[in-house]
Order: sequence, then structure tokens, then C-alpha cells
Amino acid sequence: MKASFQALGRHVDLSGVTPEKLSEVLPMLGLEVESIHSFGLAPLPLVVVGEIQASEKHPQADRLSVCQVDVGDGTIRQIVCGAKNFKVGDRVPVALPGTIMPSGFEIKVSKLREVESQGMMCSSEELGLGKGEDGLLILTAQKPAIGTPLNKLYGKPDSVLEISVTPNRGDCLGYRGLAREAAAALGLTLKPINVKTAAGLSTSASAKDAFKFVRSENSFCPYYTARTLRNVKVGPSPDWLRRDLEAVGLRPINNVVDITNWVMLELGQPLHAFDAAKVKEGIEVRAAKAGEELTLLDGKKLSLDATSWVIADAQRPLVLAGVMGGVDSGVSATTKDIILESAWFVPGEVRRIARRAGISTDSSYRFTRDVDPAGVELASRLATDLLIELAGAEVVGPAVSTGKPPRADVKIELPAGFVATKCGTPITDADVVNALQKLGFTVEKSKEGFSVTVPSFRSDVTRPIDLVEEFIRIYGTHQIPAGRPIAPLPGDEDTRSSVFTREVASRLVGAGFSECCHYTLRDVSEIERTVGAEHAKLLALENPLTTDQSHVRASLVPGLVGALSRNVAVNADPRGFFEVGVVFRPQADGAVREFLSVAFAAPAEALVRSWKVPASFDIIKAKRFLQDIAQLAGVAVPRLSFTDAKSALWQSEHAANLSDRGRSAEGACGVVELRWTRSMGLKGSIIAGEVMFPRSSFADVQRIPRFEAFSSFPPVTRDVAVIVPVATSASEVLTRVQQAASKAAGKEFDLEYVNCFDVFNGPGLPEGSKSLAFEIRWRHNDRTLTDEETNRALSAVIAALEKGAGWVIRK
Amino acid sequence: MQQQLAQLVATAQAESKSVTNRAEMEAFKARVVGPNGSLTAAMKGMATLSKEERPIVGKLINEAKKSVEEILAALLTKIEDAEIGSALGTPLDPTLTGNETPAGFIHPLSRTREKILNTFKKLGFTIAEGPEIETEWHCFDALNTPADHPARDMQDTLYLPKSFRSVDAPRRGEEALVLRTHTSSVQIRTLLNRKPPFRIVAPGRCFRRDAVDATHSANFHQIEGLWIDHQVTLADLRGILDFFVKETFGADAEIRLRPSYFPFTEPSFEMDLRSPNLGRLSNRWIEIMGCGLVDPKVLELCGLNPNEYSGLAFGLGLERITMLVHGIDDIRHFYNNDLRFLRQFA
Repeated sequence: MKASFQALGRHVDLSGVTPEKLSEVLPMLGLEVESIHSFGLAPLPLVVVGEIQASEKHPQADRLSVCQVDVGDGTIRQIVCGAKNFKVGDRVPVALPGTIMPSGFEIKVSKLREVESQGMMCSSEELGLGKGEDGLLILTAQKPAIGTPLNKLYGKPDSVLEISVTPNRGDCLGYRGLAREAAAALGLTLKPINVKTAAGLSTSASAKDAFKFVRSENSFCPYYTARTLRNVKVGPSPDWLRRDLEAVGLRPINNVVDITNWVMLELGQPLHAFDAAKVKEGIEVRAAKAGEELTLLDGKKLSLDATSWVIADAQRPLVLAGVMGGVDSGVSATTKDIILESAWFVPGEVRRIARRAGISTDSSYRFTRDVDPAGVELASRLATDLLIELAGAEVVGPAVSTGKPPRADVKIELPAGFVATKCGTPITDADVVNALQKLGFTVEKSKEGFSVTVPSFRSDVTRPIDLVEEFIRIYGTHQIPAGRPIAPLPGDEDTRSSVFTREVASRLVGAGFSECCHYTLRDVSEIERTVGAEHAKLLALENPLTTDQSHVRASLVPGLVGALSRNVAVNADPRGFFEVGVVFRPQADGAVREFLSVAFAAPAEALVRSWKVPASFDIIKAKRFLQDIAQLAGVAVPRLSFTDAKSALWQSEHAANLSDRGRSAEGACGVVELRWTRSMGLKGSIIAGEVMFPRSSFADVQRIPRFEAFSSFPPVTRDVAVIVPVATSASEVLTRVQQAASKAAGKEFDLEYVNCFDVFNGPGLPEGSKSLAFEIRWRHNDRTLTDEETNRALSAVIAALEKGAGWVIRK
Repeated sequence: MQQQLAQLVATAQAESKSVTNRAEMEAFKARVVGPNGSLTAAMKGMATLSKEERPIVGKLINEAKKSVEEILAALLTKIEDAEIGSALGTPLDPTLTGNETPAGFIHPLSRTREKILNTFKKLGFTIAEGPEIETEWHCFDALNTPADHPARDMQDTLYLPKSFRSVDAPRRGEEALVLRTHTSSVQIRTLLNRKPPFRIVAPGRCFRRDAVDATHSANFHQIEGLWIDHQVTLADLRGILDFFVKETFGADAEIRLRPSYFPFTEPSFEMDLRSPNLGRLSNRWIEIMGCGLVDPKVLELCGLNPNEYSGLAFGLGLERITMLVHGIDDIRHFYNNDLRFLRQFA
């Protein structure tokens, strides 16, 4: 909130305090000062009132005029001026040579297009008075004497502090509350508020009131007051009142509205004034009815329903309660009698209503932060004083109230030693009592420690722990020493996924990939490319800010392709990129699962030219990376299988899907769809891979490997080449060979490994077939295998492949 | 005889010079020491000699044989050298470089994250995690921020539609799902799942409905800290944060705790940092994290007795810290992934 330093001075004597000092004190109380700016005319002793006595066109510039100006010192000065809004005889502010303008610019005698100018006539903006009308600030209407220093026409400049008030401190949304804080911190005394209008409420309207009833029989508004003021003369507010409003950015409207706003700034209690002539019979706080409509002061038309609360008369809603008044019942130039409302509404409800209507006002902002019920009547009385004084109002009687204040002062039992225990350092009782008393709390000794009475304006302080915070704010956090951060005994472990995140990054960096970090929120086209249009719908946000950030990401690959593209565009010579992060994938049942994903992407052919023939990055390498990454995550590599990828993200027939029988990993690798990568300015193929792990795959405690003894005897190796149809997958043949070779070894010895070392589909083979050659390695645990048993095993393998699978063995 | 043997050795020596490959070497070897070789012939001649001559000639022949063997050994070395040389090809120019892929770069956010996590590890904090899509209950209600609490206005939240179901964050009731606005939700998951005492740090991605500019990002990263035990105090908080700041910003960095407000801590503070080594931001207080003692209400909501347990919590912005440490002026650099940026922090 914006706070005028001068206005604050009405509540606490700040004569020995500068605005700068205050802006150092308030933050340490929890009231952050975001900025300070000056309001009003800064001291400018060389700016005086001058009268334009003559004006003619500048001989060399159409837009300039040459004026003769009398500034009251006996000499007529020639001043060149660019403004158009004056006539001869006008009185205007003149900055004489030597003036340092608020912008820092110094006025000197100078020549403007060959014509001498002995000063400057000023606009409102140039004087630091804010944006006024275009051109010079014309003072003619005020009839100031020629030569009068401009500062004499304006009051002392003020400082306005922009204070960020946290949501728990509704009491600081008025000068009274801010002054309380400043007084507590600076050791000053709060000045009393003098109100002439008598206290005291009536429970029912009198015949002289402008209404017959006030009703509020509901949980939303437990306490409502209304007061009738007659024969109000609506007109402009006096200068001091306008100044106070303008200093904090409020626009003066008329004396009645201005007074309600001024009291709100003063005490933090929003008020509302109705034109009594527009109120039919009485005032009622009630839920809106379906179908009711209300046009607000700002012109916004609301269709209401039973979830909104309104202030209504006998016929229709007049005000969106706590938020904004209606245009029909507001105070206008013709208003004669007014009804002044001061009330307390349930904070959460006001927030709900305001958000639903999409409106936040000074009033709703304060009501949602819990105004002081004890201030409801005081605000009404203070406003009444001013309405009498400034608008000639006549008061009919006491305010009529319904209900009662929902909160009163709170008594908190503060156990002895509680504050010291929480602070972790010795604190004396006297320190505690002193700090709390400074805040206006009443502290009494009790059996268990202290009994602290917290006034109703501090609704946020209800528990002993809240008193600790209050104590610290006043005592000062600098008095809390740093404790020794002793670590506990071992026993806890980092989550496995966090360990994996770290390890996989260093693995990929070692392989030449650089790490990226991309936004989670992506546009719809990218998500559709990755998971298809149907699934993309399941990843949409409810309230995206922009269309290019409307969905949560389903893959890290598009981000990496984007990074390659951008780096190519700026000649940064990208090699490979990777990212580790969370992606979201719809599951078969429509629910969305989070995966920790690892993805990499690199051009198949290096982009940097070289005298050497470079090794290209291909799908086989990408597959290897995926397997290694999966293994690092604790997934058993033999469980992984690869099939053709079918997704618009990948180039068909040149990419593979990865799946895991244990469902603890899935992914894909291969050539990223070429038309897309080309459209992004990437010339050759981009090879990418991604493997995703559900959170559950990191849930198990990692097994500690147990040592297994191995044979010290040499192995035997035999080769077998199988001719199969082209369409048969390598993994199918490999699995068959493995099964046969394992079976051939039986229980006697072990199959150690089967390796596909040759793939051939050239001449010499039947049409439509290919040959895959495998190396089989067996080993015995206790001795060297003989040729005879090895050959027998090989024969068994061949027989199994020929008879079992129906394949031809190349001899 | 002596002369004849000397001649034989000299001839072999001379002939060996012209041998250039392994085949020639084998032929040469046969001419000298093969069954019909010259040295073999000389040795056969021994049989015709008298008893007296034999030891003398024998000695001469042995010497000649030794010389021939040396010639052959030298020849073998020469041939092998030639073979290795031709197998290896052109000699190396040690100044030449190729197009080999150098090691990549860890992202500066990851590097800073690991450094910070390590710092807290020294203090006994271990890493915890939670889902990025959270229930409103975990993200707000359980953190003492019920619906229509004005603290909900402190940040603008991205919501998922009502139809959205998350495997990792099942709804407890009818509440909405959100992209978590802070890692403080991991506090709740930890409080519900673990038995105190514990100290955890939770790194993770967070989201706000903010327009992207030099200091705002639609997603950003936080590291949350939570320590629950009997009698955790403000002095503990100060000790932990002091240690963190000195580890991260150097021994001459200082902190101050400025009272503030968060619904889930009481008392609450903003921690400000001041350091002489921050370039343009040197020697002035800079806000870098929120912290405080865990509000008893949060402990209660998670089923812990606040009279028995207390705790401290803090949450820092990873981007902010990384920007301060390296003097980075625009948060968007982290998400553009320009190599000219990334390689500066390797």
C-alpha cells in the first residue's frame, strides 16, 4: 500500500525521523518498503511566478515562440518556449537560470536556434508534479503575485512509501496501523484520535432515519452499522483532502466519496455511502438471488446467483458486498441525504466473491484481510465528523446496528520460558514484556508465565508461537545467535532418483552431451506430435497464461531438437544435448503418470568439418546409451525389448520403441521425424533417444550385489550362421540361438554369451532372406571343455534351429 | 681357414645391408645358416681336420657363428621396425587436432543445485522429492493456506482441469490439481510418510502463472529444506542458513533475517544476503529465501503433536542463487540453452 509520510505523522510524531530512516525500520518489522517517491513540489527557490507580456513566432522555428516575461524583478526576460497552451497575460512558473530541475537538468541562459532564452517556462511534469495538461502549467486562475516563489503556492513536498503488506497484516492497511508499528519500533507514542461524534449504537431505526430497517441475519455479515446524514452538500473536497488522496494515487470524486476513502486510508475500515433517495425502505445484507443483476460503479454488469452476497434494499441488490457499490445507488451531485455503511464481513467470503467477479478493490482488499471489528463504529464516527464539517451534513441520531462485533481482544497464555525455548537463546522476561507492551499488548503475570491480551486489530495473533514472532520483530533478529549446525547420526539416504539424476548427467557429459533445461509448459502442436491428438487433450492446463504454454510436456526430445536448431542458427556448433527432467504421459486408463525422463539428441553427422572421417551417431549407438541409462536406473537390461516406433515424433522405419517387461522403463530412439527437423533448419538427420522411468521404479531399495565365483578355465567358442526371412527380427533369432545354446549346455556347463557378429543379405542367399552369424561361447566351471562335447553341443544348437525354427544353417 | 671365415662373416655383413623385407631375410638366412649355407659348409669341413687343428678351428668357427647370429638379430630388428613403421603410417604431428567430441557441459542450474545439496548434506540433510503436479491440499491446505485465504493471492497458480487424474498425486477429496507453486508440498509428503527426527532438502521444479521476462519464468526451481526434531530453534535456523551462505557465497557473506509472512511458518522471515563479491549487487541486502519455524498448525495437519515436535523450514530459488553466484542478468538464459552460455560454467 502507498503511505504518505505526512499523513502518517498525524498518528505519531515523526519530526525526528526521515522517510529514509522509516524505510529502514519498517522492513525489519516485516513491512517491506518497495520504493519511496516524492509527492508535491520539491524545493525550487529559483522557480517563480511570471507573467507573459508578449509572444511572437520564433524567426527560424515554426514550433517555438519567443516570449517576453515579467518575473517581478524589474527586468523583462526573453524566453523561448515550445508550448502552445498559453495566451499573453497568463501567469506561469518560470525557472530562472541556475535552477536544477527535478530531472537534474540545469537551466542556463542559452540560445535556441539563434535566439537567446533567459530561463524556462515550466509544465506540471517538468516540475515533478505529475502529468498535468499538455503544455505550461497555467496559474492565472489562482491570481498569484508576479515574482512569488512557486513553493509558496504549494505545500511542503511529501514522501510516499510503497509498502508491501503481507496478507496477515490487514491492520497495516491504514495509517493508524502503520503508525502503531512505527511507534513500537522507534519507541514513540501514538497520538490519540479525536472524534466528536458520540459513540453509541441504536438497535433499530428511528422515524427520522432514511431507512426503515437494517437486516443482516447471516454468517457472512455478523456486524453491520448504518447511519443517516441529511442535507449533505455534495461538492469538491478541500485541497488538503484532495492532496491526501492524490498522494497515494486515489482520484478525488466528491466530498462524500472522498471522505469515505480518506477514513479508509486512515483507519483501514472501508465505508460505503448510499444516496438515501435511491434506497427503497431499508438495507439488508443477503445472498443474491439467481437472475438478479447489478451494474457496478465501474460500469461492469454482473449476473448474480446465490453464491454471491449483496447489500440490497427491499427490492434489488445495491452493492456487491465488501467489493464495490452499484451505479444506481451511489452518491451523485444531486444527492441530498446519505446512508453511511460501516460493517464487518467474513474475509474468505469477500475474497471468494471478489475473485468470482474478477474484481479487486481497495475495499475488498482490506475486508479479505480481516478489518478490526472494534474499528467499525470508530470509522463511521470519524467520517460523520468530516461530513458535518466539510459537507454541512446534519446527523439524525446514532448509527443503527445489527449483530455484534465478531471478534474481541484475545487473551493468550504464554508459558514461562516459551519464547527463549523457541529462540534457542536466553531471553529475559523483561525483554518479552517490554517488546509486547510496545505493540500495545497488555501483559500480566500469571501462574504459568504471562497472560497477554492482544487487541482485536491483531487478528493474526492468537497463539503463543504468534507472540514469539511479535517478540522477535521488536527485539530484533540480529540478537539471535547462530546455533551450531550439528549433524545427526547417519541413517538416512537420498532418494534413488536424485542419485540417478546426478549420475546419469555425469555419464552423458562424459559422452560429449551438454545438459539443457527447457520449459515444462509447451504448445499443443508439440504435444500432439509426441503422443497424438487424443492423449494431448489429457495434458492440457485449465488456465494457461499463453497459448504456447498450454500443455505439460510429454517428452524432452522436442526441447532438445529446439536447442540444436537455435544453436545451429547462431553458429554455436552444437554436438549433442541431453536433459533430465519430469515428463507426463497419459496411461491406458486415462490417468496421467509422471516419469523421470532422460533424453539426448545429436546430429547423425557432425556439423563441424574435419580432415578426419568422423564416426557418425546412429541408432545402434543411441540404443546402447538407452540400455546403459536404464541399467544405471536399476532396470535389468535383458528385460528391455525394442520394436518399431510409431509416433509422429519419430521417422517411421528408422526409430525404435523401448519397453520393459517389468514396466519400470519405456522410451524410444532413432531418427527424429525428418520433415520436422528440416523445417527447424537442421539439415541432416537428428538421432535422439529418450528413456522414462515412473517414480515407482525408484521405490525399491537397491540390492547390494553379492559376489559370485567365476571359472578359471578357458572357454570354447563356436560360430553358427542362420539364414532367415528378411522380415524376421534379429532379436527373435538371437533369442532362439540363446535358448538352443543354453539347452545344449544343459546342467553340465554354462552358456556364457551369444554375439551377433555378422549380418549379410547379399548375393548367394535365396531371395528375400538374410544371414545372421552368431558366436557362441561356453565354459565349464571345473575343467576345460573337450572338442567332442563342444561339437555335440553345436550339433544340438543346429538341430534346434533347423528342426525347431525351420531355419537354414549356412554351412 | 681363419681368413676364409673372416671373409664369410664380411660377406654376410655386406649382404645383410641390402635385405629389406622378411622374405629376403629368410633367403639370406638360408644362404648363411641353412643346410646348404656357407657357415654350415664351413662347419661340415671340421670333420676333415686333425685333432690338433680342431680346437683352434672350432674356436674360430664359434666366433664366426656368433658374429653371424648378431648380424641376423640386427637384421630381424631392422625388418620389424620397417614393418611396424609401415603398419603405423605417417608419423604423428602432435600439434594437430581433429573433430573429436569433447566432454559436454553440466547445466549451471544442475551444478548449483548439486553444490547446494552437498552443502546441506554436510549438515545431515538428505534428498527428498515429490510430484510436480500436486493436489491443492498438499500445495496449500496442508500448508495452512485454506481456500479463500488471502495468502493464495501471493502467487498465481496454474490448474489442471477437473477431469485430470494423476497417478502420482491422487486427490484426497474434490480438490483441484495444480502445478505446484513451491516445493513446500514436499514438506507435507515427507511429514506424512516419515517419522521424525529428520532433515531433508527437496529440489524441484515449480510453476507460477507469470509472464516470462528477465526475472520471471513460467517454471523455475526451488530447494526446500525441512528439519523436524524435538526443540528446533531460531538459533538452529540461523546456524544452518549462516553455514549455507558462507559455503555458497564465501566467508565474508553475511545474512539477516527480516520478519515476513508465510502461512506455513511462524515466525517467518525473508533471509537477506550481503556480500562484497557480487559485482553490481555487492554490499547491499538482497532477498534470497523465505524461512521460519514450522507453524504448529502444519504439524497438526500432518498428524504430529506440536508440543512434542518442532521444526524449521526454508525455501530458496535456484535460478536466483545461480544468477547471483555467476552474475547472470536474465533468467531466460537458463532456458535458451545457447552453448555460448552453457560452456561458460563448465
